[in-house]
Amino acid sequence: MLQFHRVSHLVRWLFIGVLCLPVLAGAIGVLLPALGYFPALGESTFSLAVFQRLWTVDHIAHMAWMSFFTGFIATAVATLSALCLLSAFYHQAWLHTIQRLLSPLLVLPHAAAAIALLFILSPSGWLARVASLFSQTVLPPQWSIPFDNSGITIIFALALKELPFIFLMALSVLSQPQMHTRITAYLKNAQAMGYAPVTAFLKCALPQLYPHLRLPVLAVLAYATANVEIPLILGSNNPPTLAVAVLQWFNHIELSMRFQASAAAVVQLMVTVVALITWRLVEYSAGRLLRHSMINTQRAQGARRVTLAAWLILVLFTFFAVTMVVSTLVWSFATFWPFPAVLPDGITLLHWQTALPALAEPVKNTLMLGAMVSVLAVIVALLALEAEVSVLPKLGWQRQRLEHSLLQLTLYLPLMVPGVAFLFGLVWFQQRFFSGGIFPHVMLSHLVYVMPYVYISLALPYRRLDPRYVKLAYSLGKSPGQVFWRVKMPLLFGPVLVALGLGMAISFSQYLPTLLSGGGRFATVTTEAVAVASGSSQRLSAVYVIVQAFMPIIVFALAWWLPGRLFNPAAHPRGQQSGVF
Amino acid sequence: MALSLDNVSIHRFNQPLLTVNFSVAAGEIVCVMGASGAGKSTLLDAISGQLSQPFSVQGDITLNGERINDIPAHRRNIGIMYQDALLYEHLTVGDNIAFALPRSEHHALKASERRARIVGQLDTVGLADFYDRAVQTLSGGQQARVALLRTLAAKPAAVLLDEPFGKLDNTRKEQLRPWVIQQLADRGLPALMVTHDSGDAQAVGGRIIEV
Repeated sequence: MLQFHRVSHLVRWLFIGVLCLPVLAGAIGVLLPALGYFPALGESTFSLAVFQRLWTVDHIAHMAWMSFFTGFIATAVATLSALCLLSAFYHQAWLHTIQRLLSPLLVLPHAAAAIALLFILSPSGWLARVASLFSQTVLPPQWSIPFDNSGITIIFALALKELPFIFLMALSVLSQPQMHTRITAYLKNAQAMGYAPVTAFLKCALPQLYPHLRLPVLAVLAYATANVEIPLILGSNNPPTLAVAVLQWFNHIELSMRFQASAAAVVQLMVTVVALITWRLVEYSAGRLLRHSMINTQRAQGARRVTLAAWLILVLFTFFAVTMVVSTLVWSFATFWPFPAVLPDGITLLHWQTALPALAEPVKNTLMLGAMVSVLAVIVALLALEAEVSVLPKLGWQRQRLEHSLLQLTLYLPLMVPGVAFLFGLVWFQQRFFSGGIFPHVMLSHLVYVMPYVYISLALPYRRLDPRYVKLAYSLGKSPGQVFWRVKMPLLFGPVLVALGLGMAISFSQYLPTLLSGGGRFATVTTEAVAVASGSSQRLSAVYVIVQAFMPIIVFALAWWLPGRLFNPAAHPRGQQSGVF
Repeated sequence: MALSLDNVSIHRFNQPLLTVNFSVAAGEIVCVMGASGAGKSTLLDAISGQLSQPFSVQGDITLNGERINDIPAHRRNIGIMYQDALLYEHLTVGDNIAFALPRSEHHALKASERRARIVGQLDTVGLADFYDRAVQTLSGGQQARVALLRTLAAKPAAVLLDEPFGKLDNTRKEQLRPWVIQQLADRGLPALMVTHDSGDAQAVGGRIIEV
């Protein structure tokens, strides 16, 4: 095997290791205290006593139920809404307008979305103020959202945040060349047989699309059942969801609470697994039920209802997206703003002047960490993919299948195992065996979340690259290394930049990994925003949210703009000297 | 100079797909014809060293007396031309050719000399002023010419053509085909052309191998 191929194959194994080992080490680090083993606290015997004590904690069953319920319903709402939008508008020319409307919310961190939603839904928020215009009251309403015990606000916020992700994932599946050709042919064919466009999509495209969407949807479900930021900011604290409770117990001053927290983290993992299994069962039954309606020959089945629902979702989504942006902007410049007034008394730059100097350090930390994590993730992912297309095909059929499925499995491991269930264990591992230095620890825990997405976003363009370009370069006498750097990289420059941007955006948005691996001493914009949201002024929170939203948007804007400028002779004026070789 | 295939057989999952036994002399163009899926392009992949699972090759592939089966693709010195020009869009027209120059030639010449030589080659196909043009601005016929210049610039010892005129309309094909045949003959290169088009085989006028 050639040197470059050996290196890339090695990096592919490294990729698998970096994804697996922290999750496994973390799981062990949580499981041991949950079973009563924690020598540092003087306990070195295994028993189930910790779990027995956990059952006696007030509301424990309710907390677990809330994690399951909010995550499951939110994922169901987001998935159905996304599929509804897609079915109703796939044949419309302005599908891409919807795509552009949804994209910004995708890169907005969960914490920022939750805080922005707080400005609208809270008793002194805009909805209440506008409502008071009609009811003529001067007191804030007594409604119980947010912070409601029913979990409705959490579900709403999660669904709002996950809808764009599922919608855009579905669009990306549908835009794969083979899939696109097939679906387009199916839809034309079905319409020629008299099916309405929306019905044609429901009956012919959806069954083809969903299997490709299953893994991302399950990742969303796993994330939603164990999310911390949204229930922390918008949820009830009496009792909180299990994931939030785990966080509070781990950070409790009383160190012996660690046992309870570890056991609860294990329960959280089980809650997520149960949610995943339930989803598969519901999905299976739904598939069985719908199979009959596929062939019931109704040419316009569901067309009107789905279109109506899609419009409703679109209007609702646009309304909240726009009011979130506007209200956050208004709050960040607001002076005195008593209750029934729809607008503040005046505007001021004071909050920006207060927040920006305080944000300098977190912004610097966030950018540095994001850039380093993302660059590393992209390099590793590219080399792992290079091994996939250059080395694996040369291995035996069995070995090739094994290595392929091993990577696919580990890719989704950090996305399926809830952060609260392994991050604490990972932190314990890191402090126990690699104490000293916060930055590498934070970097590792970010890498675990950034690498899968970077890999997934690069895999498609990398595999789609016309292999003849590569064969041609080999036939011109270029070595594998030269082909990688001088042919593949320029051809993939656009996707590589987008992956870099995505990696940075994901790193920016990480709350729990930063908080835990950094031991609370590594401040990023996201950790500061959550801290400010639960404490001081709404006006400062607004500034933090805007900064949080702007960072990924600037990164993505650069990622879209740069490829057109570099490596593109068509963009330069004629007659310029060649500087490439 | 010659390219020989001695009892070369292509296997798919260990099932034999085809077996060939012939050699191509210097300056000769041999056409390979056969139904879709017969393994014509796979045969070219085997010769250029680009075969991947589930395909495998047995037998001896020799180029100028040297067995090349175990030499990696980029050291085989065998040029390829496809039906798409596949010019690299991140490079200009001239830089696409510069990319193909052998290391030795790259070092032996100064940048200005390299440029002059490439402009000279472009001139032979009526594209002297096109060095700095983006490849997307060229017509299909122009791209095909640049693609062959690029293949030849790497100084290959043999050339494989995979349906090289498959995407051209009849007028362009009639213009380009004699030129390509002439270029290969002028350089005395052994060439193997996979084609569907009996017109190609007639124009070449050489041996035809059916697979």
